[in-house]
Amino acid sequence: MNKTTRAWLTGGIFGGLIALISGGLVGFLAGIIAGMVTGLLVAKHVVQRTPMEGFRRGAQNGLIAGMFVLVGQLLRGLLINPIIDPHHAGLHAVYTAALGGLVLSGLVAGLFGAVNTLPAPRNRAWSVGLIVLLVLAYPWLDQLLELRFMNEIIPVIVFVLMALGLNIVVGYAGLLDLGYAAFFAIGAYTTGLLASPHLGVNMSIWIAIWISAAVAAIFGLILGAPTLPLRGDYLAIVTLGFGEIVPIAVNNLDKLNINILGYNVVKDFDLTGGSKGLNPIGRPWLPFIGEFRADSPIPWYYLILIIMAFSIFFIMRLRDSRIGRAWMAMREDELAASSMGIDIVRTKLMAFSMGATFSGFAGAFYGSYISAIFPSSFAFDVSVMLLCMVILGGMGNITGVIVGGLIIQLADRLFLPQLSQLVQKLFEKSDIAVLKELNFASDFRVLLFGLTLVIMMNIRPEGLLPSADVRAELHSGDDDDAVVATGVKQTV
Amino acid sequence: MATQSARTSAGQRTIPWVWISRIGIVIFFVLFLLVPLIGVVQEMIANPQLLARQLIIGLTNGAYIALIAMGYTLVYGIVEMINFAHGEVYMIGAFLALTLVGIFDLTEKTPYSIRVPMLLLILVITMFCTAMLNVAIERLAYRRLRNASKLAPLISAIGVSFVLQNAGLLWGYLRFPAMHGIMGNNAVAPKSFPSLLPNDNILEGLTAVFGENFKIRLAGKDLIVVIVSVSLLIALYLFIQRTKLGKAMRATAQDRSAAELMGIDVNRTISLAFLLGGAMAGAAGLLVGLYNGTAVFTMGFTAGLRSFTAAVLGGIGNIAGAMLGGLLIGLISALSDQYLSAKWTNAVVFGILVIILVFRPMGLLGEEGGQKA
Amino acid sequence: MAPILVAQGIVKQFGGLTAVNKVDFELEAGSISSLIGPNGAGKTTFFNMITGLYVPTSGSFIFAGQKINGLRPHEVTRAGIGRTFQNIRLFAHMSARENVLVGQHTRLRTGLIGALLRPKRVRDEEAAAVTKANDLLDYVGLSRQRSSDSAKNLPYGDQRRLEIARALATDPQLLLLDEPTAGMNPQETDDLTKLIRRIRDERKITILLIEHDMKVVMGISEKVTVLDHGAKISEGLPYQVASDEQVIEAYLGKGAAAHGKSGRKSSASSPSA
Repeated sequence: MNKTTRAWLTGGIFGGLIALISGGLVGFLAGIIAGMVTGLLVAKHVVQRTPMEGFRRGAQNGLIAGMFVLVGQLLRGLLINPIIDPHHAGLHAVYTAALGGLVLSGLVAGLFGAVNTLPAPRNRAWSVGLIVLLVLAYPWLDQLLELRFMNEIIPVIVFVLMALGLNIVVGYAGLLDLGYAAFFAIGAYTTGLLASPHLGVNMSIWIAIWISAAVAAIFGLILGAPTLPLRGDYLAIVTLGFGEIVPIAVNNLDKLNINILGYNVVKDFDLTGGSKGLNPIGRPWLPFIGEFRADSPIPWYYLILIIMAFSIFFIMRLRDSRIGRAWMAMREDELAASSMGIDIVRTKLMAFSMGATFSGFAGAFYGSYISAIFPSSFAFDVSVMLLCMVILGGMGNITGVIVGGLIIQLADRLFLPQLSQLVQKLFEKSDIAVLKELNFASDFRVLLFGLTLVIMMNIRPEGLLPSADVRAELHSGDDDDAVVATGVKQTV
Repeated sequence: MATQSARTSAGQRTIPWVWISRIGIVIFFVLFLLVPLIGVVQEMIANPQLLARQLIIGLTNGAYIALIAMGYTLVYGIVEMINFAHGEVYMIGAFLALTLVGIFDLTEKTPYSIRVPMLLLILVITMFCTAMLNVAIERLAYRRLRNASKLAPLISAIGVSFVLQNAGLLWGYLRFPAMHGIMGNNAVAPKSFPSLLPNDNILEGLTAVFGENFKIRLAGKDLIVVIVSVSLLIALYLFIQRTKLGKAMRATAQDRSAAELMGIDVNRTISLAFLLGGAMAGAAGLLVGLYNGTAVFTMGFTAGLRSFTAAVLGGIGNIAGAMLGGLLIGLISALSDQYLSAKWTNAVVFGILVIILVFRPMGLLGEEGGQKA
Repeated sequence: MAPILVAQGIVKQFGGLTAVNKVDFELEAGSISSLIGPNGAGKTTFFNMITGLYVPTSGSFIFAGQKINGLRPHEVTRAGIGRTFQNIRLFAHMSARENVLVGQHTRLRTGLIGALLRPKRVRDEEAAAVTKANDLLDYVGLSRQRSSDSAKNLPYGDQRRLEIARALATDPQLLLLDEPTAGMNPQETDDLTKLIRRIRDERKITILLIEHDMKVVMGISEKVTVLDHGAKISEGLPYQVASDEQVIEAYLGKGAAAHGKSGRKSSASSPSA
């Protein structure tokens, strides 16, 4: 399959599925996504000369991808919707969204194609700029299209942030951490204790979030220290152990009794609120905006975007520094690294605590955002889901982790529930009882993570978006960029 | 490179920070474990009958934990990977056994003359199926990764465990008429086994003779679980020690490439390890289902954790060690269930695991500086 | 000249096995010396003890007047001992340049805060480190075009050279080379021998190598030490060692010295120095 085909097929499948599952005005969004994916992939593989040529090439493929969106949208609007909701009219909306998706897909893909014809460093900057623009404009789109996805998208970004932190530990330093959610819990609970009436400390969230990150970092050191002498697989199991102990402890520290030499120092002290969790947790306050509110997600959205931007910036700096090199050297060969003067203990602990810091930060934000925390949000499957996010996109690669994280999180939080609803509605009238009972969102969720891990490990261990170097090594021989480029020129 | 790092971890010197971290961990666990333990000891002395009952439960738990631990230890001994999915194979075993009980329509009223051969048949079928399942898992999800880094098969195994767990969840939806409604009405809820094992107190007579102070409950099912488990374990041990295939396994565990040069089919030997481990897990699934009377799709994680800890405690790769470890972990978790509270038991088991791995990674019966440790 | 490294009564036991048995050893500053011996003689174990990977069961190493046994590997490196490995251990997925940059780790100062905020001091340090890395790659003869390639994609000979460049990046006073010419053809071996001599002559770095190729050993070393079954059986100038009966016996087996004829390692008895 040549790479242009692969580009529009990928974009088209993504867009088409989104349109099919969500229907309605989501079609526009599906078009934009299809266009973006197609445009980026085409631009990456085909060399164009002028912006016009680039635009045309991008738009052509974008339109092909848009056809998928159109088909998905029509299938949904004309075939499925009448079954699940016969009284629903709105055929106009179906056609508008279908055509809109098609056009937007072509347009967006064309834009990315055009931008890519700029000279070398600028094309990348512009592509990134375009994506940032789309991300910044999303709340407006959301309102315009009445999508109401904002409340799902904010936690998605929080989890992607955590995946970036985990990527430091797993991707850079090569330490498989199966208890990463523990630091998320520690961050969230620290905020919960400091910025809520539970202990009577109603600290401002702006301060609590930093303390939470610091506390998580310290726990990273404490829990990291015992694992230092362990080999990779044992280390993974021990981190899993800590990841289990923390939620158990949090769940059961609601009636804390401490006896020292027979004196009851602490009696029935409720530290963590047990399974009820802690709430309400304070929210951030800013001049002009006032206190952030649960029913208006936009300030939260921009706040987490800012945190995300800073995190990416700092992680990139770490990666390209002496410390980042030490992490990667340690991942490649611990013994050789120590013989080259790298202090393995320090380097490992630094990786653990840096990873924990990001997770603690994310936990603090999350706690404040949902205004409550429960021990059940930090179970083992959260750690595994984060691991999936890191592995799907490509370990050790920031872009890969973000893309992989977005795919898994959006699937988990938006599309699986929608698919589940859709299927349930479809089978509501059928005779097959089992199908009515099935809930895709909860009954297939774990399967999805599991399959992701097995398939990625066995078939594409480098991830969906490997760094160029790893790709070259794992797939040498099938690089047909040049062929594609000339082939394209002939057809044009 | 793998051999090099194994060598250095064995020969590496003790460095002060290791001790610092060890001291830290001791403080951590003293706070969490020892302080409550003082009260626990008092409680134990106060009621020896309860203690005796808990020890019996611990013994039966230990028996099935040892069965599952075999799977971890056999596989680790040969391919040096933690088969994270093994606990889920056991869970599938329990579900399969439950389904078969439903299909054969065994109930409390079935006479023993039919019940016993049927149960034996179910045992054989379950063991066979889980053995095949385990072999298939190795073939599909691990074999390709044998020469990759150590983490790749572990990650794949975590994936498999999630897939199996989800399969267990979906299994709950199966409601064929032939199953005689054994799955109940709620797919996700724990399933109940009919009580097919004798639950009468064998020691009733003792109370009659020695009076109320000697009132210990030992049910027929306690004995059955222990006897079946121990005979399976002995059979496995003899198989590995005495037969030619068992020798091939031990040789492969010692040195895979040398074994290959000696004409041992390494792929087949590895499959055999998974086969035996899977069979043991299946047997454990049936026994636990009958003993506890329930099966739930999340049961694999906890059981897997305990069994893995047992295998590590005894010295991973060491068959006798896994048996000893299983017994100890069974006793500890039964005591913890009773005297601490069931919700802390997993934390206790994990705490033990962490302590062993940090202080004595070769386990109780492992050799110091041995290759596998 | 004063010795830069002194080993006193070094013993290393693994369980019941004695890998190195009471070895005394001195290394003159600015010299090139070789450690030879049959397979399993304890040479690499000896290296690993110097560099802190193993702790000697008894005995001590004194490097430039400072006792170094008991130090962790990275502290030994910081003290001024660089090494290469018998089976190449590069950072496979990092570029050649990054490998050399990692070698400079102990000589750079940037900490966590510096890496995050990247003030001018850090940027200058990083630029100097990259320059130094490029210079070192030039010095060992790796072409510029290859410096961005992954280490594992380099040809075998280049990987050996890169390992030397990486060790040099630690600014060593003493360089330990573990079979640097293993697996090389005669031309490559020759080039590498020249490189080793240049490192000593131009950079004044003391060199100790483990080597099986007797041509290299005899051609380059000023002193040869022979280990057999963990014990030092001979030491001296290359030609003295080569004619030592104990050495020939160790290599060729008992009785071979008397018959003194061809065998597996016949090059040992016919030095071409």
